[in-house]
Amino acid sequence: MRIITHNMLKCHVKNCTDPNKQFPLRFKDVQLEQVEAERNDEFLVRMLPRLDWPALLKTSKELGMGLPESIPENPGEDEEFLQAVHTFIMETHVKEGSMVCDGCAHEYKISNGIPNMLLAEHEI
Amino acid sequence: MDPENIDLSDTDKEQQYVHAVYNQIAGHFSDTRFKPWPVIEAFLKNLPPGSIGADVGCGNGKYLGLRTNDIFTIGTDRSDSLVDICRQRQYECLVSDGLDLPFRDGAFDYVISIAVIHHFASNERRKRAVEELFRILRPGGSVLVFAWAMEQNGRRKFEQGVQDVLVPWVVPGSRQQDGSERVYQRYYHLFKEGELSDLVQSVGMCTIDQVGYDKDNWYKIILTEKTA
Repeated sequence: MRIITHNMLKCHVKNCTDPNKQFPLRFKDVQLEQVEAERNDEFLVRMLPRLDWPALLKTSKELGMGLPESIPENPGEDEEFLQAVHTFIMETHVKEGSMVCDGCAHEYKISNGIPNMLLAEHEI
Repeated sequence: MDPENIDLSDTDKEQQYVHAVYNQIAGHFSDTRFKPWPVIEAFLKNLPPGSIGADVGCGNGKYLGLRTNDIFTIGTDRSDSLVDICRQRQYECLVSDGLDLPFRDGAFDYVISIAVIHHFASNERRKRAVEELFRILRPGGSVLVFAWAMEQNGRRKFEQGVQDVLVPWVVPGSRQQDGSERVYQRYYHLFKEGELSDLVQSVGMCTIDQVGYDKDNWYKIILTEKTA
């Protein structure tokens, strides 16, 4: 799973309703892998509005990876910014570990790069 | 067999006649699912660069690899065996239930649901599945849905007026002790004329851009835009 995907995920347990805690899910015991990918600046600049930047920033600090505090005024002309975003969201893969919800403590496992987001019957 | 007479809850029916079957037949199913359908291919090719989307019920990932350089698609499926196949192909994918997607509201520019909604065993569950597609979509985003049509011109013949059916999946070469081939039954709800549009409109929040058939009328298709 790439970090761009993690930025779209939220806890969906039935009784977990505090929007400030459902998202972003906190990584636990994760094994990361960097996989080189071709950078597409048009893609990056156009998809920026889809990212939740504060959540992405929180996740980057958690994983000890560098990311600017905010999106610059002209992101398309900021080489350093584009490379940092590309490296973090497109090239960083989570191979193993889990994601924990700060609201209800539910733990979603990631195995062989695949998050399992299924819930038990009573959690739906 | 008439699925109406199966003495199971909707959830158990789907577990036994959809989820368990796809996990069993994943390999063979995937070997037969490689040619992209033109309407879906055109939809994906027309998206603006930078689009982020979800393929809910992505199966073996047939549509996840069609355009990867300037859009990004996350595949989800209820079958972990099918998601494993997507992963082996290096696609972005996760295991999740279509009735309860793990994404934040308005996360995506587009969502596709190809041959999925017909596997839910009640109208209420089909509606909830469609509601989820719209929940994860941003206003102005588009949804493309394919589902099996009742008025089919193809080779399959269904009993007149029966909408809930079990469709056999024969695994070739799967010789059993008595010499017969292993057959799995999959549950389908066949959509009547107008039913898919009614379902989508009952969820609200959208304008319909296109309604029609594809694949010799096997499939009802609907393309909509989320309004609010």
